[in-house]
Amino acid sequence: MGKLGRSARMTLWVCMVFLLSAGLALAAGRGVTDDSVKMGFVLVKTGPVAALGIPQGDGMVDYMNYINEKGGINGRKVEMLWEDDGFQAPKSVAAVKKLISRDKVLTIMTTGGTNQTIANMKNIKRYKIANIPNAMALEFFDPLHPYIFALGALYEWQYQVIVDYINDDLKMKDKKIGVVYTRKEYGKKGLDAVKKRAAKYNIPVVAELVMPTGAVDASSQVLALQKAGANIVITCDVLPPIISFLKTAEKYNYWPQVFGFNWATDDLLVKACGPAAKNYIGSGFVGSWTDDTPGIKLVREIAKKYNRKPKLTSLYIGGIGVSMLFAEAIKRAGKDLNPDTLKNSLETLRDFDTGGIFPPVTYTPKSHAPAKKVKLYKTDVEKKCLVPLTGWRSPKDL
Amino acid sequence: MAIRSKTFCESYHEDIKLLDTIWSKCWMGLFVVGLLFLPYISDSYIVYMVNLSCIAVVASVGLNILTGLTGQISLGHAAFLAIGAYTAAILGEGLGMPFWITLPAGGLVSAAAGILVGIPCLRLKGLYLAMATMSFGVMVEYVLITWGSLTGGERGMYMPEVTVLGHTLDTDESMYYFLLCIATLMIIAAKNIVRTRVGRAFIAVRDRDIAAEVMGVNLTGYKVMAFALSSFYAGVAGGMYAYVMGHIHPEHFTLMSSVEYMAMIVIGGLGSILGSIFGAIFIVVVPEGIKLLAQGIESVIPAMQGRYDEEWNIAVFGLLIMLFLIFEPGGLNAIWQRIKTGFKNWPFTY
Amino acid sequence: MYFLELLVSGIAVGSLYALIAMGFVLIYKGTGVINFAQGEVIMVAAFIAYYLVRFGVPFWLAVPLTLVASALLGGLTERLVIRPLLGEPVFSVVMITIGLSIFLRSMAGIIFGHHNYVFPSPFPVEPLHVGGIVLSHNHLWSMIISFSLMLLFFFFFKFSRLGLGMRATANDQDTATLMGINIKRVYALTWGISFVVAGLAGVGLANVMVLNVGLAFVAISAFPAVILGGLESIPGAIIGGLTIGILENMAGGYLDQLVGGGIKDVTPFAVLFLVLMIKPYGLFGTKEVERV
Repeated sequence: MGKLGRSARMTLWVCMVFLLSAGLALAAGRGVTDDSVKMGFVLVKTGPVAALGIPQGDGMVDYMNYINEKGGINGRKVEMLWEDDGFQAPKSVAAVKKLISRDKVLTIMTTGGTNQTIANMKNIKRYKIANIPNAMALEFFDPLHPYIFALGALYEWQYQVIVDYINDDLKMKDKKIGVVYTRKEYGKKGLDAVKKRAAKYNIPVVAELVMPTGAVDASSQVLALQKAGANIVITCDVLPPIISFLKTAEKYNYWPQVFGFNWATDDLLVKACGPAAKNYIGSGFVGSWTDDTPGIKLVREIAKKYNRKPKLTSLYIGGIGVSMLFAEAIKRAGKDLNPDTLKNSLETLRDFDTGGIFPPVTYTPKSHAPAKKVKLYKTDVEKKCLVPLTGWRSPKDL
Repeated sequence: MAIRSKTFCESYHEDIKLLDTIWSKCWMGLFVVGLLFLPYISDSYIVYMVNLSCIAVVASVGLNILTGLTGQISLGHAAFLAIGAYTAAILGEGLGMPFWITLPAGGLVSAAAGILVGIPCLRLKGLYLAMATMSFGVMVEYVLITWGSLTGGERGMYMPEVTVLGHTLDTDESMYYFLLCIATLMIIAAKNIVRTRVGRAFIAVRDRDIAAEVMGVNLTGYKVMAFALSSFYAGVAGGMYAYVMGHIHPEHFTLMSSVEYMAMIVIGGLGSILGSIFGAIFIVVVPEGIKLLAQGIESVIPAMQGRYDEEWNIAVFGLLIMLFLIFEPGGLNAIWQRIKTGFKNWPFTY
Repeated sequence: MYFLELLVSGIAVGSLYALIAMGFVLIYKGTGVINFAQGEVIMVAAFIAYYLVRFGVPFWLAVPLTLVASALLGGLTERLVIRPLLGEPVFSVVMITIGLSIFLRSMAGIIFGHHNYVFPSPFPVEPLHVGGIVLSHNHLWSMIISFSLMLLFFFFFKFSRLGLGMRATANDQDTATLMGINIKRVYALTWGISFVVAGLAGVGLANVMVLNVGLAFVAISAFPAVILGGLESIPGAIIGGLTIGILENMAGGYLDQLVGGGIKDVTPFAVLFLVLMIKPYGLFGTKEVERV
């Protein structure tokens, strides 16, 4: 047994050496050198919902490449590491750990969707990961989380603006609302928001139907809505089921005024549905591809430069916007760039103008809340895309 | 020291001993020491991976008892994990109970669910049983999302951190020791079950259940017990998972997860506890290993930049299942046994 | 009226389920195995058809080409994946089909991409109106094809040599071999035919849904149909498919509003579970006789 005793002692010495060296490694600024900055992000690239991540990731990467070609930021070139989580929270957590422990990135620009961000909240605080989540939820900014910067109008606000529009601007007799939602968090939130707001305006909600994201057939939903007499249908689901819904409604010759939120409001809807989408109005918080604002013009220029034809244009635009915000923050942090200074400089943004990509962005040390602004878009069947219907609106105070 | 080349057992007790030679005791000791020092020589990412492996090991050991030993195919294992996780979350977050209540409670509630499923499924065999368990999994997922008042529905549930004697375990490293203890306990328990008459009864049910019944093995009792036992393990694993993730959601427990656990025991080796451990570690670690390898290749060969994504991982995963079944149906365990006997019998080949 | 509409669209969706179920049953009838990769085959066939049509091949030619490709894929799968496992326990073969499904799904993602595609439908958008009930051309054709296939296969299995050979092989491989049946050929043909049926289902589904990698998961919804009808019965597959389609639509149309949604998707599985409790071999399946 003495033999074992010696090897145990040897092991202990070896371990202590490792401990020391690990400590030394942590002392250097994370992900930053004199001429480079390593940025990571976790976004779905494969799997059934990959279509929702790829355009955004492309946008984020393209913008940073564009900045690098113009000389980088404060003499540093930005290196982007894109980790795929397949839209699954456990994989997102593993990816975050890898990016921090192994790749030692300065920050992880986004950790994915709602569930993924929630699962990572502990890590975000611990490793000081300033990020903009790819989802909108109240708990991301209320109570204040030091490192999460919320962007994008909450689902509740989007639906409030929609119902406000229905009440104030929509010319229709005898309005009856039907809601089609999915049993995910954003679906439920949308349903609740619509019901509450519609009750304030005394507009009846005559039907509430579930349509799962992977639905084969929307017939029973369309028929039920028709039976209930809904002439307005508000949808709370991502793009593919809305496409199914619109095409099925066309088949049954059912033409209500259809509304949807930002994840469904994209040019692809019009391209896929054609005339079936003629009654669609959607809410969004990014500019549209055909705008003439300086920011959107830049988006089109970048897309042309890197030969991108994004299928979901709103996501590509959003991706470029997110990178734009981080690039600005890196610039403002100056020479001394580390996770703390990055966070602080994000908090110096006041009405930062992204040139029409997002509404003006403001973050303060006391509030990382997103702008309460939403734009409505409607279908232009000939142009085969969405065009703005309103300017930036906020939900009315009722 | 004499090299053993054959099995020389003089009593029943010797035959079923877990560690029979001084060598195996030494190796086991060194292994334990190595495990204890792991967090000091690796980074937080590796420790996190090992934590996930511990959870997977407990779950796969449970599944192996049901499917590998007793021959009952179950495609609903993830559902039992979910039940355990949510029970632990409700007790831990909602009622503030400590881990030594929530984890066993999760296991017990899961076991009860296992009995509830096992009894109606007594008559089912093979593919029909697989279908029935799969349906059960789908129904549990539905209930988890719908019963919002209990489970938080599509918002999921938060889970507090583990507190042991006043210390909150909030780092990966501290959780590592905690999970390691639990996993070790469960593995030893399983090993003991397997080598007793209960284990032998399970194997009899798998091999020739009608003959077993004729010989006096109570089919109903043992089948239900197998379900209950494997669900208990799944429930505890679910609770562990909840503590590690901090937040659970029905999406974490889908059919795909059940398939993953199946893959663990198939690749690891059906019917063997060691195989479950191998399989679990394999399934958890290999995808990350492939990712590191691929990204390493990427940085060396610029042409491959950005070509890697998770999809390759999944493709390899499917491919591995197929290759193992074609070339090594006994799984990793069979390979290990061959290596071991090779060492034991050296320089002879048999 | 509402009820009739739901019924008709239920039959329409059900006939697609029936097609999928038929693919499963064929393989089971011929080789005694459930092919968990059926959904992925359907998806791959749909993608092949999509790309053929994209490259300008007219629809009436693209479909047979897709079917040929599916048959080849079936033969290849059988040769590479199933043949090595001849004689192994059922569990291993089932597990390998699961592995195949995962592999095919990710390879499809890598090759075809992850975006959502819209299949250019050859049928006019304007649906048929039959006595006040709306029926899309798509669904009409699926129904016609399902029923014709059912008749075809019924006679095939009952009277043709190959059909009998397939049933014999599924029943008892060793005896079949002893009786002079070429097992390898039977296996290859079974898988080929089943994949062809899957190809048809794929084209049908692509017309109805948005085409993406997720199409493969529709097959999981068809499992209840398969078990309901019994694993060995082709008419059972049809009846099972139709039943599940109707049940789903009825539940969706009537219960969704009451019980808070989502009932539509879980109903087939709940029904499946119940059926299995009462009849462990499905409604029309044959009880397996075991000997010790």
